[in-house]
Amino acid sequence: MRLPAMAKLQFTLFFVLFLTIQTLSASVDTISSDIKLKNVDRTVDISTQLVKVVSKIVLENSGKSSVKHFLFAVEEAAKNNLAFIGAKDSNSKDLRLAETTVKGYDYVKFWRVELKEPLNAGATVNVVVETVFTKALQPYPTAITQQEDQFVKYVGNLYTYSPYYTSTQKTSVILNTKTVESFTKVKPFSQVDGTIIYGPYANVGPFTEKELSIHYKNNSPFLTVTRVERLIEVSHWGNIAIEEVIEIEHTGAKLKGPFSRYDYQQDHHSGPASVRAYKTLLPASASDVYYRDTNGNISTSNMKVKKDSVELDLRPRYPLFGGWRTHYTLGYNVPSYEYLYHSGNEYLLKMRSIDHIFDDMQVDELVTKIILPEGSTGIKLNIPYSVTRLPDSLHFTYLDTKGRPVISFIKKNIVENHIQDFQIRYTFPRLLMLQEPLLVVGFLYTLFLCVIIYVRLDFSIHKSEHKD
Amino acid sequence: MTAETQSKSRLPYLSSDKQLTFIKLSVLSMAAILSFATRLFSVLRFESVIHEFDPYFNYRTTRYLTEEGFYNFHNWFDDRAWYPLGRIIGGTIYPGLMVTSATLYNIMQYLNITIDIRNVCVFLAPFFSSLTTIVTYLLTKELKNEGAGLVAAAMIAIVPGYISRSVAGSYDNEGIAIFCMLLTYYFWIKAVNTGTIMWATMTALAYFYMVSSWGGYVFLINLIPLHVLALILLGRFSSRVYVAYSTLYCIGTILSMQISFVGFQPVQSSEHMLALGTFGLCQLYAFTQYLRQHLSPANFELLFKALVTTLLLTLGSAIIALTLTGKISPWTGRFYSLLDPSYAKNHIPIIASVSEHQPTSWSSFYFDLQVLVFLFPAGLYFCFSKLTDANIFIILYGVLSIYFAGVMVRLMLVLAPVMCIVSGIAASSLLSLHVKDIEPKVEKHDKKKKHENNLVFRSEVGTLFVCVLGCLLVSYVVHCTWVTSEAYSSPSIVLSARAHDGARIIFDDFREAYTWLKMNTPEDAKVMSWWDYGYQITAMANRTVIVDNNTWNNTHISRVGQAMASTEDKAYEIMRELDVDYVLVIFGGLVGYSSDDINKFLWMVRIGGSTERGAHIREAQYYTAAGEFRVDSAGAPALLNCLMYKMSYYKFGLVYTEGGRPPGFDRVRGAEIGNKDFNLDVLEEAYTTEHWLVRIYKVKPLPNRGV
Repeated sequence: MRLPAMAKLQFTLFFVLFLTIQTLSASVDTISSDIKLKNVDRTVDISTQLVKVVSKIVLENSGKSSVKHFLFAVEEAAKNNLAFIGAKDSNSKDLRLAETTVKGYDYVKFWRVELKEPLNAGATVNVVVETVFTKALQPYPTAITQQEDQFVKYVGNLYTYSPYYTSTQKTSVILNTKTVESFTKVKPFSQVDGTIIYGPYANVGPFTEKELSIHYKNNSPFLTVTRVERLIEVSHWGNIAIEEVIEIEHTGAKLKGPFSRYDYQQDHHSGPASVRAYKTLLPASASDVYYRDTNGNISTSNMKVKKDSVELDLRPRYPLFGGWRTHYTLGYNVPSYEYLYHSGNEYLLKMRSIDHIFDDMQVDELVTKIILPEGSTGIKLNIPYSVTRLPDSLHFTYLDTKGRPVISFIKKNIVENHIQDFQIRYTFPRLLMLQEPLLVVGFLYTLFLCVIIYVRLDFSIHKSEHKD
Repeated sequence: MTAETQSKSRLPYLSSDKQLTFIKLSVLSMAAILSFATRLFSVLRFESVIHEFDPYFNYRTTRYLTEEGFYNFHNWFDDRAWYPLGRIIGGTIYPGLMVTSATLYNIMQYLNITIDIRNVCVFLAPFFSSLTTIVTYLLTKELKNEGAGLVAAAMIAIVPGYISRSVAGSYDNEGIAIFCMLLTYYFWIKAVNTGTIMWATMTALAYFYMVSSWGGYVFLINLIPLHVLALILLGRFSSRVYVAYSTLYCIGTILSMQISFVGFQPVQSSEHMLALGTFGLCQLYAFTQYLRQHLSPANFELLFKALVTTLLLTLGSAIIALTLTGKISPWTGRFYSLLDPSYAKNHIPIIASVSEHQPTSWSSFYFDLQVLVFLFPAGLYFCFSKLTDANIFIILYGVLSIYFAGVMVRLMLVLAPVMCIVSGIAASSLLSLHVKDIEPKVEKHDKKKKHENNLVFRSEVGTLFVCVLGCLLVSYVVHCTWVTSEAYSSPSIVLSARAHDGARIIFDDFREAYTWLKMNTPEDAKVMSWWDYGYQITAMANRTVIVDNNTWNNTHISRVGQAMASTEDKAYEIMRELDVDYVLVIFGGLVGYSSDDINKFLWMVRIGGSTERGAHIREAQYYTAAGEFRVDSAGAPALLNCLMYKMSYYKFGLVYTEGGRPPGFDRVRGAEIGNKDFNLDVLEEAYTTEHWLVRIYKVKPLPNRGV
């Protein structure tokens, strides 16, 4: 490839710039040998389609100087499935997390957890780290008939994966079922009700991995939201309209053979792995709810208004078996005073970037679009987790002249823990509120004026002689 | 009429002229709004949804037009229908409807009115009915007077015969075609009355719009020449008529040939020959008139005779030659069936199988028109009593459309407007006759005084008559609203029934099945079903179908009929041949939905047996020895083992449908099914909807060798 001189120069420049940015942004940490994990109590909940791991860590500083932060690692096999990570201290206060790398461990994903207060030499501190993995449970067998139960396989790490030395550790795996085909047996272990407890194991070195595999029955709904597009339209006249276009797929074991409606109707235990309905929770103030798809209204849904939420019992047009897909649009209105704050011309919108779709949901891709009133300027977006911001665009609807600004962002791999508020600050001159009514008034005024002129004046070139 | 009486009660600050305008305007706009509002029953009761079968095709093509633009639409080859043949959509449809709604949609988008294309389609027919109301007013005003116009407008706003094809969601050609037709008539009357080229050109443009939107334009292009002929025969031919018709024919024909579906038909097919002939006759007639002025009677006589003989001879031989060479298309089946109602039934089963092609029963005239049936003759009388060029037209229109409406149910639509116009004239004339009598101060009219003095109880009779007519009109309104709400406002894509406790049950099985097909079958899956459901499957499920409601290929439909009527292994061969992946049947036996595929089955047999390859399928095989069509154990073995039977009743033999009945009791046929315990060898149940209304089967692949 031959490049013109100028382009070459530009290219080099950009490349240098790129390198600088890279080195600046990606922080490199080292593993401190002073830190030890005195005790880790790990709960792995695999009773739903998600893998939720809660690690209660007792951290000990065995060094001489105090430490401000420690590292949390996720093994190579699981790092692509990680959807959410969060850390709390003993007072349930959130700790700050930052992604980082360690030289020589490129295959491991690290987070630097900032402690609230520096940990003095010899002292201990309790930290709870919560991680959620999606698509970590594989249906096995991959296809089942209508009457069969769904079995899945979980493959994980028997030990807590950590860059530090761990003194003692215990892992309890919650299955919520006694039907276990097989599971890894490393003593000491015990199986009580729907839980398998491993450990305690003593003195495990850093980065130790040993396969933990459990093959068990899991008939909980394996629904993946493959894509959700959430549209938030803000009106300063007191209303916020929300519309979600949702695509859902049953990602459990695929349906093999026929679907028999007779069996499905006769026996309520038929199709144990299928999903007939699920519940969506909307804000308590939601009104004018609609539930439809491209072919029109879906008439099979119920709405219950509860104290703190509106509960929608959504039934897709057909039950969802493994491999079946559905899509729909769900929309509602909420009053703006609950989410929109202002002082003078400065506005602040605080809303959820994604809302509850069903319990233990996993979302592959979320696109959130926020339509602000026409004339909003100085827009600043603030989200508690990292997202990819899409280029801003304009949206035209009733009585718009120059278009409403649309802020949109995209985020992949989302779970319930991501239901958090984003904030948008913007400036909107309040006088612009008058623009739309004036437009209507002006239009009608011109129309009537034209009619009046037309009726009053005679435009004919030639006077007809019939009329006196 | 009522307008005039009301105008007497004074409105302050307005001169009586202005009062009249004001009242006319308000009556007319109220009628227009009413005609929109009365068509919204189904939207309010169900939702804003497209109805029935054909509208789904129109909706799909409109969506395509808005997304892809006009040229792509014009050149559209649809590979989703008539697999493996496909269909050239651009050249086989009347694009007027789609272009109208796409234009409206684009205008609204331009004005930032973000309305969905589906809603444009749903509300297009009611919107055009409003326009029809206004055009009816204008037309009747031309024929009679403004009072008659207002009555006719009010009548057409709610006439069931027209509502049946124009409720919200009934997105079909007829919805706008009636408007186009009346608009053409209005301009035509204007052109005949004024004799200006402008109005004649407007007629041609309106005619072009009509041609672009409905095949029924043939009625129009025969009616107008008939009117001209009648005028010639009655000695009323004038230069006005000459200008009007010559302009209309030239411009109208050229314009109509721009529609690719019409093409060269206006100069080739026999349906258009009357127009062409009349055009020639007009020229000759005008020419002879001209010659007569310039020649002596003897010379003229000689020339006339010579000319007529040569012309007749050349014309006759030309027509024969063209017919023989095939340039002029022979008399088509549809045309024969118009003249002879039994023609289609005897010759083309596919035409006869459509319910809207059946002859109209007497009761449906009353059902669709009510009081108009009685007012119509009175209106004709008033038209005859003061014969004008325009009145002759409306008489011709009325008489002809009564005949055609009697032949085919769907042509009731053409009759309804003229019924309203003529009845409007009748009601208005009768009322104005008698309302005058009620008025006490008749002394002013000196001329009439003589006659009026002869009548006793003049005022009382007048009052009585007005009351009776008022009652009739009120009953008309009640009847129309009832018919609209009960008979014509069900979308037929969503069914509803009443439960024992009075709660409404919705059967949404069709959309359930179509959505299932759309989401859970491969993108290129081929679905076989009876042709009725073709349009809905392509529009809602976006899957390829073998046959659809555009029944252009009889052999293809026949092939599907043969598959449905054959045993499983024979049908498998046909399905392999047609590359079918899924088969869809409609089954109403569980909930009692009577227009299901078993009840349509005899048509499948007839159509299946109507071609060479299906000659082995004979209708008689599917009847019992006593000649009955039965699904119970006494039914014919050919029926109990055919594919359609098996697909409809698969596993149905286990279901209890009604208390006190054995399992497998079919609630439509009222019988316990005869063949209960069977398995499907070449098919596999892929999906059955909640109320079993739609059943979808997957065609199994060929078994592996050695298994």
